[in-house]
Amino acid sequence: MIYLLTIFLPMLLAGYIYLFTRRIGGAKYIALALFVALFIEAWLTYTNLLPSGYTMLGSYLDVKRFDFVLTLQVDRFSVIMLLLVSVLLIFVTLTSWSVKHQSAYFSLLIFFAGPIFGLFMSTNLLWFFIFWELTLIPIYFLIGIWGDKQRIFAAMKFFIYTHLASMLMLLAFFLLYKQSTTFDMTQIKEGALTTPALIWWLLFIAFAIKMPLFPFHTWLPIAHVEAPAPVSSLLAGVLLKMGAYGMIRLVVLMLPHQAQKYDYIILILGLATLFYAAFMALYTTHIKKMVAYSSISHMGLVAIAISALSFSGLSSALFEMIGHALIISILFVIAGIFHEKTGSWQMGDMGGIMQKAPYLATLFVIGGLAALGLPSTIGFIGELSVLISAIMAHGVWLAVIAAASLLSAGYFIWAFRRVIYGKQSKVVALTNFAIHPVVFGALAIFAILVIAFGIFPQFLFSGIDRAFDTYHLLGGLA
Amino acid sequence: MSAFVLMFFATLFSLALHRTFVFKPFVLLMIVLSGFLIFLKTPVLMYGFAQSSATNLFLLVIFIALLAFTLSEDKEINITQSLFIGAASVLLLRGTTLLTFVFSFEAVSIISFAVVGHIRSSIQADGAVKMFISGALATALIVLGLALFTFGGGNFNLSLSNIHFNALMEVGLWVMLAGIFYKLTIVPMHSWAADSYANIKPSSAALLSGIAKSVVFVAVLKLFEPFFIQTLHVSIFILIVLSVLTMTLGNILAMFQKRVGKMLAYSSIAQAGYMLMVFIAVKDSYAQIGLLYLAIAYVFMQTALYLLLDNIGGGISDITLDDVKGLVKKDRLVSLFFAIQIFSLAGVPLLAGFMGKAIATYAVVDAGYWIVALIALLNSTFSIGYYGWFIKNIYFDHSVKQSRVISVSTSAKIAQIILLGGTLFFGIFAFAVFHTSFCSL
Repeated sequence: MIYLLTIFLPMLLAGYIYLFTRRIGGAKYIALALFVALFIEAWLTYTNLLPSGYTMLGSYLDVKRFDFVLTLQVDRFSVIMLLLVSVLLIFVTLTSWSVKHQSAYFSLLIFFAGPIFGLFMSTNLLWFFIFWELTLIPIYFLIGIWGDKQRIFAAMKFFIYTHLASMLMLLAFFLLYKQSTTFDMTQIKEGALTTPALIWWLLFIAFAIKMPLFPFHTWLPIAHVEAPAPVSSLLAGVLLKMGAYGMIRLVVLMLPHQAQKYDYIILILGLATLFYAAFMALYTTHIKKMVAYSSISHMGLVAIAISALSFSGLSSALFEMIGHALIISILFVIAGIFHEKTGSWQMGDMGGIMQKAPYLATLFVIGGLAALGLPSTIGFIGELSVLISAIMAHGVWLAVIAAASLLSAGYFIWAFRRVIYGKQSKVVALTNFAIHPVVFGALAIFAILVIAFGIFPQFLFSGIDRAFDTYHLLGGLA
Repeated sequence: MSAFVLMFFATLFSLALHRTFVFKPFVLLMIVLSGFLIFLKTPVLMYGFAQSSATNLFLLVIFIALLAFTLSEDKEINITQSLFIGAASVLLLRGTTLLTFVFSFEAVSIISFAVVGHIRSSIQADGAVKMFISGALATALIVLGLALFTFGGGNFNLSLSNIHFNALMEVGLWVMLAGIFYKLTIVPMHSWAADSYANIKPSSAALLSGIAKSVVFVAVLKLFEPFFIQTLHVSIFILIVLSVLTMTLGNILAMFQKRVGKMLAYSSIAQAGYMLMVFIAVKDSYAQIGLLYLAIAYVFMQTALYLLLDNIGGGISDITLDDVKGLVKKDRLVSLFFAIQIFSLAGVPLLAGFMGKAIATYAVVDAGYWIVALIALLNSTFSIGYYGWFIKNIYFDHSVKQSRVISVSTSAKIAQIILLGGTLFFGIFAFAVFHTSFCSL
């Protein structure tokens, strides 16, 4: 019952906060308390997991005729996602501490928490779809109301594009139900399906849009750029991870034969994403766009890791997802602060921020160095493990991935040169970079995590490795 | 049939109560009582009529919508007419023969001409006249079809099940369906609806497009199902082409509208396309439940939206997208009503519109036409274009000075809460619909 409340209580609470706390305030404290509670709940769930397979949390609202049952089951993979999501929600709350229109903003964040938890807990595909689609609504409003100049275009494009992905997914789920008479993803057997290839392609495109993989990525750069900075980190840290989660859970683990047949497609799109986004990041002079493309580039790495279809591939994909979420959140928020303070997005207008705001600039440098894969940060471990698992699966030629790492070193170090170091620009000289201590604290904690997990990756890997050890799949996945 | 009798006499009696303070309480009481009679499943003691749990559920939904309509509407004559539509709906949904269908269908049609008859401006006159002419044409086609069918079959009071259709009967029924499709706003018989729904008083549009149209849809599937199944080799093509055309054209044209009423009218045409799509899967076990769900959802959302439009414009029919800009700053609650019902139309989950669309689409997939389902789902993506744009006007834009939006009365808000309750209830608790069937009780 507590898990059912976890999903639906935030949605009800959101309505209450939206309508009744506008004058009295305090929405952010409620949000923070809720997200901390969710983190604790996720942690307790993690410690109480069965050693292997799914742990049943409950089954509600049973409509047998259409298999419309809210089955809540979790395994290690989904609980790790829950932990990641709740940590990011806390981070987003803290970094939005002094946002405008607080009751509306935080009610949307709280609303978002319900379906996102439902998504990772539900094994019924129909409910999975319902939660998937529901997460779009708060993000649509968050971009549309709190976004930058082109917010409306960005919000509309986000909504339409991701809705398109959802529709393909829904069709695939319907075909799955027709062919296997169940919506439960743990019950579906690939061998029993009559059109597995069609279903695989529909699901693959749906999740490729969400991840996003080149050439389905066009909704993301604009959404990232226009969204307020904390929401950008929510997009990168949670929404893209939904795509990767779906890719692993449904495209690879549920349909392993098809995945093996088409693994080169995932690989090619992953490589294309990795390099295309890296070159775009190198090309742009817009600081947040650069971060956005570097984020997309890292999702390419995740896709490459997934395409290995091996135990180590999936583990490194999950590790890279966590690392990416932590790193990119720092970068987005600081890029947003730089813009807010200087009034410009152009890296050319900034310069010498290190002299004016040394602590903030240091955090940005830590984030950037982690993103380019400097040893002793979480980014290094992520990239290295992806590289190794990809080479093991597809051959030595995949050492080209290292070239992308070089590219990312190129754009980040060049960005440091233009933004952080160098001669202090006129704009920066006139700017006061003081930020709320709560925001700084959240950023600092994430930076510490980035380094800590880089030095002690075993702490994360001990959980992640066990996330996939129960699957006995084809292709040497054991 | 006691519900029909009660509603019918309530209609007549309410005329005498106009301009007295007991009018609204009386009407509300009558609607509740009729709903209660439906709920009790009082027996149907007339030849040519039968009840089933599905039609009973749908009638309850209609009565709830009428309740909300009564609370929200300020013109007493419209309320009286809405009662009559409720009474005729009982007949239409319970009729089992072609004659009872035509008879009650015409009852709904004729009263709907009366509903649009209160003309206050030239734009409303335009809507009313277009509706009347198309309605007359539709009636002519229906009567012609009935004549051909009767000539072919030798009996004009046939139920369509368990009979063999000869060529003349088939032609007759198709001519009749052509007439019915006018009322259902199926392309190419749709163009009147875009103007009529948009130009008449929005609350009347709520009655016609929200309530009457869904009732006719369910009644047509219930009555014509054996016919469609027997002639599936022909009808499948006609139905696929018409439904795809209807949903696509409706969605495309809705995107270019500046007036809210007209956008809703085209969206209503697109929704008719989704409903017609279910007929493709007529042999499938999910078809009836799918259409019923879609119709139930549609009653709540479309009625709510047109009523809201009526409320914020004070009855004028040309509220534009500019007028609703920044509405959220004037009234958070009304904006929320708008947003949730629009999201329901767009097919956002946990709202009735999603479940309706999902089950209807699944019926089509189950019948083997996944390409048609894909087209419908892509259409749904398309529709986000204008639904999202409407939300954007309410929430993301700053209000304009010359906005004609007025504040909404408390009783209208209560009406909206009732309709919102329906949208939410049927969005989450699907068993309410799944436990019903069209088998006669």
